[in-house]
Amino acid sequence: MTENKTYRITLRPTHAELRAAAGTPLRDVLFEQGVEFPCGGQGRCRGCRVRVMEGTAGINPAQRERLSSEEIEAGWRLACQCTVESDLVIELLQWDAAILVDDTVFAFQPRSGLGVAVDLGTTTLVAQLLDLSTGRVLAVRTALNGQARFGADVMSRIQFGVADGGQRQLTEMIRRQIGGLIEQLLFAASLTCAEIADIVLVGNTVMHHLFCGFDVAPLSHYPFESERTGLARLGARELGWKFAGDPPVRFLPCLGGFVGSDVLAGIMATKLAESQNVQGLVDLGTNGEIVIGNRERMLCASTAAGPAFEGARISMGMRAATGAISEVTAEEGKLHCHVVGNAAPRGLCGSGLVDAVATGLELEVIQPSGRLAGGDAQWMLAPPVALTQSDVRELQLAKAAIAAGLRILLERWGNPELHRLYLAGAFGNYINRASARRIGLIDFPSEKVEAAGNTALLGAKLALFSLDGEDGSFQEVRRRIEHVSLNEDARFQDVFVEELTFPQSVHARD
Amino acid sequence: MTVFDELQQAIINGQAALAKELTKKGLDSGKKPRDFFPNAIIPAMDEVGRRMRECEFFIPEVLIAARASRAATDLLRPLLVGDEAVQAAGVVVCGTVKGDLHDIGKNIVAMMLESAGFRIVDLGVDVAPEKIVQAVKDENANVVALSALLTTTMVNMKGSIEALKAAGLRDKVKILVGGAPVTDAWANSIGADGYGKDAPAAVELARRLAATA
Repeated sequence: MTENKTYRITLRPTHAELRAAAGTPLRDVLFEQGVEFPCGGQGRCRGCRVRVMEGTAGINPAQRERLSSEEIEAGWRLACQCTVESDLVIELLQWDAAILVDDTVFAFQPRSGLGVAVDLGTTTLVAQLLDLSTGRVLAVRTALNGQARFGADVMSRIQFGVADGGQRQLTEMIRRQIGGLIEQLLFAASLTCAEIADIVLVGNTVMHHLFCGFDVAPLSHYPFESERTGLARLGARELGWKFAGDPPVRFLPCLGGFVGSDVLAGIMATKLAESQNVQGLVDLGTNGEIVIGNRERMLCASTAAGPAFEGARISMGMRAATGAISEVTAEEGKLHCHVVGNAAPRGLCGSGLVDAVATGLELEVIQPSGRLAGGDAQWMLAPPVALTQSDVRELQLAKAAIAAGLRILLERWGNPELHRLYLAGAFGNYINRASARRIGLIDFPSEKVEAAGNTALLGAKLALFSLDGEDGSFQEVRRRIEHVSLNEDARFQDVFVEELTFPQSVHARD
Repeated sequence: MTVFDELQQAIINGQAALAKELTKKGLDSGKKPRDFFPNAIIPAMDEVGRRMRECEFFIPEVLIAARASRAATDLLRPLLVGDEAVQAAGVVVCGTVKGDLHDIGKNIVAMMLESAGFRIVDLGVDVAPEKIVQAVKDENANVVALSALLTTTMVNMKGSIEALKAAGLRDKVKILVGGAPVTDAWANSIGADGYGKDAPAAVELARRLAATA
């Protein structure tokens, strides 16, 4: 029977050996291996390119549109458009993601039992198992959010959710995946049958709604507000999880618009809500999130930065993995590129992109307008990796979204002096602060800017200790945070256009 | 350089004050208002479009060039009223569809169409289908240009087209659509007359469609 025929698939460079039934979408096979599909597997981008080294994979019009004839000839395919029709040896362009976990030491009130903290990100999931009496992390598990195969960003996730049966599918998928992660945590800590006292999740509003099973339709259009943003209390059993003691599960409350409890958790983790001085918190993701404030008053907003910081839509963009140029500097006009793993350069990751443009501005290879000097189509960094004119344009869009959001929030607050700016998330850890300033992304002196790590996860862990017993510090802080809807600000688009250009020179402002 | 050449350069360079001054100078020296369009403004915006396509110009440069063009057309428009020899290239009702507030792309298209000689009725953002229907009736428009930047709001283009059908106006207008998530296939599937992948493409398309409308 041909339907039951299975084929062997070997991946390079990971050497993973898999089997899949004839006709299985390559997307499903590779997703399990951590390959991402930036456009949701619709053949609209080139993010899931793979090279077929042995075997055959069909070509279709969507691939002809995205791949050159030389690439097709060389075996390159869009994985999302292929099915398994023979034994295959495939070279992956993407590598395993490095997901940021949190190992910060924090103060807490001991309580008994085990707790689980989950950072439910649009792209990545991180779960930690804690001994609540000692605060010790007993196990950590990370994974890519399984929903990502239906769209990389929150808007495409919503689009899938509002289609027939889509919401249910996404809800069931994420509940199953997180339940599985928690099982793995218990297994890893050799506590398979132990009771869990408390499970806390944080995530943006869309992740909150999809996990809790709340309708995402209100988030699909202006004014992008849902009414069901409060602290959600669920039971393990109603989520289909079979853990001893049926522990309570809480998804922390959203802040408004797309800004969710991951930002609330970040505010708790950085103690921004206790600060006398005005501080800021920025998460440089596809959906950039910004908080400005102190213990008196806090403003938060989200701004669509697009995926440039993650290397998507950049011609030679890739994640911060082996072969990625992660740092670019110049000495006496000569370029130096640092490549992750000291391997041959293969692409450019987010931090390398920001460095490259900052260096290009200093060398006057790139004009403040973003134009490559001399009208060149590209600037060679380290062969074969080059920065193209359209790459600079993509970064300009991402940079302007964040910088305009920051400027408007600061203006709304009354232009206070900012004493500290925390950068949350993985990208905040890697980005060179001087470069971020040179391109006008984070226009503050380096000594005021601090990489704060995975503040969402740290905040979720703090909630395991402070949420119980309704002392409610999280709820109380939430009431002091005001959500600003940037798309309703009449000035946003003007400021955005102003911020599209790069600063002339950074020295002038010091 | 003639005053038309100078004006063309001023628009490309985004010098609004200079464009205004040169327009006045041209008028004072006896140039006919209608001659500014084919000899200075339209070729200037065509050049801006070309530079935009070739990545030489980005959004800010295009916007300031469009502003300079508007400085000239604002002076010329009142003088064209009653000039029988001048016919607008067409009347375009444009807007960003319901549920969507993005207007930079729509504004660039509107300003380029204006420079190309179209009369523009810009309904703004978050535009309900009824408003489009009303504007087409009131302004006797022959082109409708719809923009959307989100995959979740682009579906409302379809609703707008259906409202025009229900009002019996569908055959009266040509409909073009654009915006980041929009594709040719999408335009076909919702029964639009065309898709412009960027502002210069939208202008070309509008010219072609208006000629047959």
